[in-house]
Amino acid sequence: MNDSRTLVEHFFRHEYGRLVAVLTRSMGIRNLELIEDVVQSSLSKAIQTWGHNGLPDNPGAWLYRTSRNLAIDAIRRKQTEQRLLQGTASPQLESAVSNLGSVQLEEVGDESLRLLFLCCHPTIPMESSIAFALRTVSGFSSEELSAAFLISKASVEKRIARAKDRLREIGTEITELDSHTIETRLDAVQSAIYLLFNEGYASSSGEHTLRKDLCEEAIRLARMLIQSIPKSASSFKALIALMLMHVARFDARVDKSGSMVLLEDKDRSQWDWIRIREAMEWMAISASGTHLSRFHIEAAIAWEHCRATSFDDIDWGSISKYYQSLFEIQPSPMVQLNLAIAISYSMGPAIGLKRLTDISDSQRNRLRPWWDCAIADMFLRLDRVEHALSHWQDALLLSHSACQREFIAKRIKSAEERKSKR
Amino acid sequence: MAKFLLLYRDAAEPRNQPSPEEMQGFLAMWGEWFQQFGPKIVDGGDALLPTGRVLQPGGEVANGPYVEAKEVIGGYSVIDAEHYEAAIEIAKACPIAKIGGAIEIREFAGYN
Repeated sequence: MNDSRTLVEHFFRHEYGRLVAVLTRSMGIRNLELIEDVVQSSLSKAIQTWGHNGLPDNPGAWLYRTSRNLAIDAIRRKQTEQRLLQGTASPQLESAVSNLGSVQLEEVGDESLRLLFLCCHPTIPMESSIAFALRTVSGFSSEELSAAFLISKASVEKRIARAKDRLREIGTEITELDSHTIETRLDAVQSAIYLLFNEGYASSSGEHTLRKDLCEEAIRLARMLIQSIPKSASSFKALIALMLMHVARFDARVDKSGSMVLLEDKDRSQWDWIRIREAMEWMAISASGTHLSRFHIEAAIAWEHCRATSFDDIDWGSISKYYQSLFEIQPSPMVQLNLAIAISYSMGPAIGLKRLTDISDSQRNRLRPWWDCAIADMFLRLDRVEHALSHWQDALLLSHSACQREFIAKRIKSAEERKSKR
Repeated sequence: MAKFLLLYRDAAEPRNQPSPEEMQGFLAMWGEWFQQFGPKIVDGGDALLPTGRVLQPGGEVANGPYVEAKEVIGGYSVIDAEHYEAAIEIAKACPIAKIGGAIEIREFAGYN
């Protein structure tokens, strides 16, 4: 017996996903609700037993045994009910009980992956797949997802329900992760992992630790995927490198009070070099193929930011070139904006400004208030404070989160101080 | 030294199901409680399932646990303490109290 009662971080969350996955395998996705109840109960039971008696030698195995027994009890109860109502026992339930007896704990890792592929069914909207996967594969609660995505708990549950309903309608069960399923859905699964990471990383608001947890979860799933399917595309390996380099710098994005920090002011000593070194290894592996993906380029940009020892040390010339290449394979407004910013540092704010005003109105609207912030910043560097202030005022009106507004208000304040000093 | 029963009373309308992450935090809280008051805790006790029967005085049996004031007994522990004040201190540090549950503290009569 281990008396410390301390479990590894996120143990329950990860066990939740593993248990749901392994039980879904034997009982079928159609019994998902029952499975979720059973897993929740076995975690409650663990708290009672472990809280009072200390941890068992193998907490994972303990949870698995308990869930399996609770599941068998639940099925038996259901069988009795059915027998009373219809006079016969359901053969489906019979087979679920016998399957439960034969599942081995070692298979669990693959089970989570199988469930992930199941979630990424082509007819389920991606946002539903992601919410559903985070619940069932990753063990996040609706409250946590609502806080991380900044949408209401009801919307989270609606997304999850949509995926569940759809899976029920389709009525498919993936029993084996065969090469056909992998081939047809690998792209969707990889995109889901990337979007999941972005949900955590890119949103400018939402609860900081929870968002970091989402990013970590995306990396965990990506590692799991690549372990089982080593011949994944080189772009996916580049994506892992990219995610690691972003998450290595995650804590430097906000200060102690939780406000966003300007790139100039980031504390580079906070960067997690263990993560960055691991990212470099993935970058090296990903460089083997002939295909240059957006993730390769984005990883290269992230690397430039990682390796610079100070803001002044950033190699904006190389970064501009990378954004230019990225723009050629992925001509999105966001890339255009980042390219303009990089150019403003490598060739001067006047040229950056020209690049920003070249962006068409319709695309500009999709970038606001970031476009306004970028242009204000360039005006400030050109010492045209009045113009800068007017663009920040626009940005303030257009911003959609308190965190963004706070960040912009600070910029306005410092620009006004600068103006009054003259 | 007297013996006290701690009766954990949860809201009969359960709050949102805790997330696995919260449950893990809860486990750590129990661990701290036992570490802090180990020798005083005679019996860690147990939790009670939310189902139950009530045998009425006339012999009639009703379904569900006995619910009063919108609270239902969710578990119990037995502790040693000098007096009520000391027992209250132990109860205050208990995870149930920390997550907003009510705890009824009763002294054993000591008949056996």
